[in-house]
Amino acid sequence: MKKLFAVALGILTAIGGFVDIGDLVTNATVGSRFGLSLAWVVVLGVVGIAVFAEMSGRVVAVSGRPTFDIVRERLGPRVGLVNLFGSMAVTLLTYTAEIGGIALALELGTSVWSYFWIPFTAAAVWVVLWRAKFNLLENAFGLLGLALLVFGVALWQLGPDWGQLWHTASTAAKPSPEPWPTYWYYAVALFGAAMTPYEVFFFSSGGIEEKWSPASIPTMRSNVLIGFPLGGTLSISIAACAAVVLLPAGIEVESLGQVALPVAVALGQLGLAVAILGFFAATFGAACATGLSVGYSIAQYLGWTWGKSVRPRDAARFHAVVLLSTLLAALVLLTTIDPILVTEFSVVFSAIALPLTYLPILIVANDPSYMGRHKNGALANTLGSIYLVIVLAASLAAIPLMIWTKVGTT
Amino acid sequence: MSDAIDANLELLDRQIVDHDGAMVAKVDDVELEERDDGRLHVTALLTGPGALGPRLGGAFGNMVASTWARLAGRTEPGRVSWSSVASVGIVVTLAVDRTTVAVDGFEVWMRDRIIAAIPGSKVLPK
Repeated sequence: MKKLFAVALGILTAIGGFVDIGDLVTNATVGSRFGLSLAWVVVLGVVGIAVFAEMSGRVVAVSGRPTFDIVRERLGPRVGLVNLFGSMAVTLLTYTAEIGGIALALELGTSVWSYFWIPFTAAAVWVVLWRAKFNLLENAFGLLGLALLVFGVALWQLGPDWGQLWHTASTAAKPSPEPWPTYWYYAVALFGAAMTPYEVFFFSSGGIEEKWSPASIPTMRSNVLIGFPLGGTLSISIAACAAVVLLPAGIEVESLGQVALPVAVALGQLGLAVAILGFFAATFGAACATGLSVGYSIAQYLGWTWGKSVRPRDAARFHAVVLLSTLLAALVLLTTIDPILVTEFSVVFSAIALPLTYLPILIVANDPSYMGRHKNGALANTLGSIYLVIVLAASLAAIPLMIWTKVGTT
Repeated sequence: MSDAIDANLELLDRQIVDHDGAMVAKVDDVELEERDDGRLHVTALLTGPGALGPRLGGAFGNMVASTWARLAGRTEPGRVSWSSVASVGIVVTLAVDRTTVAVDGFEVWMRDRIIAAIPGSKVLPK
């Protein structure tokens, strides 16, 4: 019974924790411009993140070594350092976007200007990272994030032409006014949003915080293989809501309010309130995950003590990094940069950084000296290799497409 | 510990943990000594930016090493004597406590000057 509860809790938090500001904004933007014609990218991204999260989870459970430890050991100190800079920059950008997202959710809920909220949200995130136990923050925000299921309810309530939705999704039928480069630019952005590297750092480091052993592998697998696809379904329902309400009305997503608009149309004020709660929980949870991930990656590269299972004074450098990142994120946002713009950049730069994270995981998951009998089977290796090609293609295409489409504005 | 070891593969860039499993540092470099029989022996593990900088090489590596040397006030990198190493596996495990190897200069500075001053630093997260 206790085990069943742990499995169910893990799956639920994986669903609620899957969606962050990047998924919210990108899915709604794509839905409002391309309908469900890019839904295949979400499916592709979810399978990819599940494949690599399972691999990194298995590496942690068997060897007790988190991702960045392995990155340096396998790629050497130089390539590892380049990798560290790249991944940290992207994760820090995502952290900034998430803190901005919390402020936007609070603005939606209170009608108080979001920039007023930024110092308070940054401080609140830091207090949670300083004082709250790992399980608490993972479970609380994961469960609250389930409020986003309201997008599924709203879609049902809107009563769309399901056959039509399925047709655009299954044939990837691009709406004719949109040019192909823009279509592919958003495909890369959506892929980056689904596969963000911090999810793997956080997932694998979390495995160490929760002291996984080989006996934890079945639970870990059920979280990944059931929770992530359900989280992906939630992402698609956000896109579908936008496709049904915003696309015909010609509304483009420029704010978090427009992401929630279909829910308000379908379910009224109560639905909107639930959606805002979901936004808050999803962005707050993701802010914690990204903030910790910045600290995790640098501490793991340099061999420092890190994590939430020790007193902060015993992981002083780790906590100093987390504190500095939070300050930096708040300062960047206080320049009154648009958090939605930061989010758009963060998902595209995530796509660029993907191969840095995923290649070393694939290498170590195949190393018998680490993995023994738990090393990759044929399925994980086939999928892993195919995804490495896709990830590399997305990474190389990201910048040219970004310039060509003027960040998706054409 | 007298067996032959591939220092490049089995030592460099591995995590060092103490006898309780607490993380100490990375093996940033190794100190070798040539004995009379012509064989190289590992005498110590070197840690910290003072050891990592030269391995990174180039202008950036020099900058890392010289900045560290200025801040630390010495040029010799952190050193963990081979005699305190208990075993070498996926991680390098020490036979002693992390405080006795004393390679924690920056950690201690950060703890005493900044982190310890923040309320709640001495309590386990709840």
